[in-house]
Amino acid sequence: MSVRESFMLHMTAPLREDFGIPYHDLGPRDESPRLALVAGLHGNELNGVFVLARLANFLAQVAEQERPDARLLGRVIVVPAVNVLGLNTRSRVWPFDGTDLNRMFPGYESGETTQRIAAALLRLTEPARWRIDIHSSNLDFEELPQVRLYAPSDEERTAAGWLGLPAVIERPLNATFTATLANAWRARGGRSLVIQAGYAGGLQPPHCERLFRALVDFLEGSGLLAGVRLAAPEGDVHCFGPRQSFPLISEHAGWFVSRLEVGQWIQTGELLGYVYDGFRGELRAEVRSPVSGLLSGIRRQPLLCEGDLVARVLTREEVGAMADTYLMGHGQ
Amino acid sequence: MKIRRETFFTLELPYRERIVLERAVFEGGGGARVAVVAGVHGDELEGLYVCHRLAGWLEALARRRPQALLGRVELYPALNPLGLDTLQRRVPIHEVDLNRVFPGHPEGLFPHRLAHAALRHLTGAALVIDIHASNIYLREIPQVRIARAFERELVPLARHMNLDLIWVHEAVTVLENTIAHSLNERGTPCLVVEMGVGMRITPAFAEQVAIGILAVWQRLGVLAADLELEPASHVPRVADDGNVHYLNAEVSGMFVPVAEHWMAVTRGEPLGRIASPLSGELLAEVRSPVDGIVFTLREYPLVYEGSLLARIMQARGGQ
Repeated sequence: MSVRESFMLHMTAPLREDFGIPYHDLGPRDESPRLALVAGLHGNELNGVFVLARLANFLAQVAEQERPDARLLGRVIVVPAVNVLGLNTRSRVWPFDGTDLNRMFPGYESGETTQRIAAALLRLTEPARWRIDIHSSNLDFEELPQVRLYAPSDEERTAAGWLGLPAVIERPLNATFTATLANAWRARGGRSLVIQAGYAGGLQPPHCERLFRALVDFLEGSGLLAGVRLAAPEGDVHCFGPRQSFPLISEHAGWFVSRLEVGQWIQTGELLGYVYDGFRGELRAEVRSPVSGLLSGIRRQPLLCEGDLVARVLTREEVGAMADTYLMGHGQ
Repeated sequence: MKIRRETFFTLELPYRERIVLERAVFEGGGGARVAVVAGVHGDELEGLYVCHRLAGWLEALARRRPQALLGRVELYPALNPLGLDTLQRRVPIHEVDLNRVFPGHPEGLFPHRLAHAALRHLTGAALVIDIHASNIYLREIPQVRIARAFERELVPLARHMNLDLIWVHEAVTVLENTIAHSLNERGTPCLVVEMGVGMRITPAFAEQVAIGILAVWQRLGVLAADLELEPASHVPRVADDGNVHYLNAEVSGMFVPVAEHWMAVTRGEPLGRIASPLSGELLAEVRSPVDGIVFTLREYPLVYEGSLLARIMQARGGQ
């Protein structure tokens, strides 16, 4: 049998049943993992969790030869949700102590609960040739499905293209990410990618479909899957460097209302949305894009503080030195 | 001496309200400028009380001998006022730890702007003291924590703070985004004080730390040298990562301590037990791995496997 459900960690709990963090172990068991897919480090980022559960189901069918012509050619580890308690209680962080699991790496096997979880996840996924960590943004901001690369190798750049997602964004390394899973993977060599898709707290089926397809394409591109026929890909892949990302910050507070969808190309001066006064309801500002490019993110939370991010535009040209890195860290 | 309250940061909220951050300024002569920061985490109140005690002391000084303030004192009691007002450790709305976004950015989100404004005002001070109160889970003896990189400059100052412990720790990458690291990196000395427990105040600890702060201010020339201050009553022990032992729960349950906080213990001595709330069963007994002193003790009883129960500073020669 080539399909296995296992637990990467088993722990007791103060007042409920013992709990574990389960994962799918798919494909030939006599080799080390070729790919590790991880989602749900944040318990409210549901797109990745749902897609990985569905993908595990699909790969299990392939492995069990229930899909004619399709073959799984390597071992794949799939962890749909790391923060199981957070998922079940709809919490981004580890609910017991408010710890962000994606700030606990590399973890410590004898340390705090979340350090133990981090260490166990790293131990499970580190041997894989390829590793992908899937996130959504936070509750407020929708991200176009995209790959994020941090000071990548050429191999990682190539692999990002296999996913066929509409945007590949390169970022410099910075202190915000030092304790993340992606950085822990990076410190141990090998090849790893981060994906962002949609926003937290709900499912966005179009993003999920795109993400599912991207992962199947990646499995094919990396030689792990053969004989799967998908429809032709939608659109092209566009790559953006560290200075080709423009965060649009509102200097007004109030209600932000927009009808735009992520993934469309916009022109300089194009209307993105409106800001209305919170109490009086009067129009305070039209929000227009100061640059042209791909709308990769848009605010979905209508309540707006002064200084909040309302949109992100990926540009063909470099647009200056604004520290978008800070804002990129939000939700990841 | 001039005493005033100043707004140093303001930001508009969605519905009619503004966040306003205030500091209290006590201006004497042209001597050194010092600052105390508290309330970076909305569930840590000990530092707010220290600010209150210092403000009261300075107001009394203004009445009896105003010329004894040779420098300038700034108190920032609530760097995360929205968190304090809503009982949240992190910055509400953005749900981020304010002490993980420094140095901030003037064009970033609300927490980045707030961090940037605070850093801008604090940079250049002769000394900044950043007071924390652990969290709701652990009780800490008054101590200062110093990153190894800043040991040479900060330990001599910390020795006069009337604390029980100075803990010199190795660099941890996640600490690079703290207010203390950002200030020290910019050449502004910043001492991080940890004391007490979250969501509570411990008046005795606050008095102890306030005495130490006044003593250090006097050494820095902020207060007149002939001003009579309450003498220090605590001599700090110095620990580093080599003699600090962590005790983490082996099993989940309810931790019931038998050791007292800041109690000397011997190797093998019981510190507490982990009990099952569902039965009379004792799930684990917790014993000290070394001869030493308990400087961190769990306050919140429920524990998961791995939850920190205590930290013990192992005794070294002369301590």
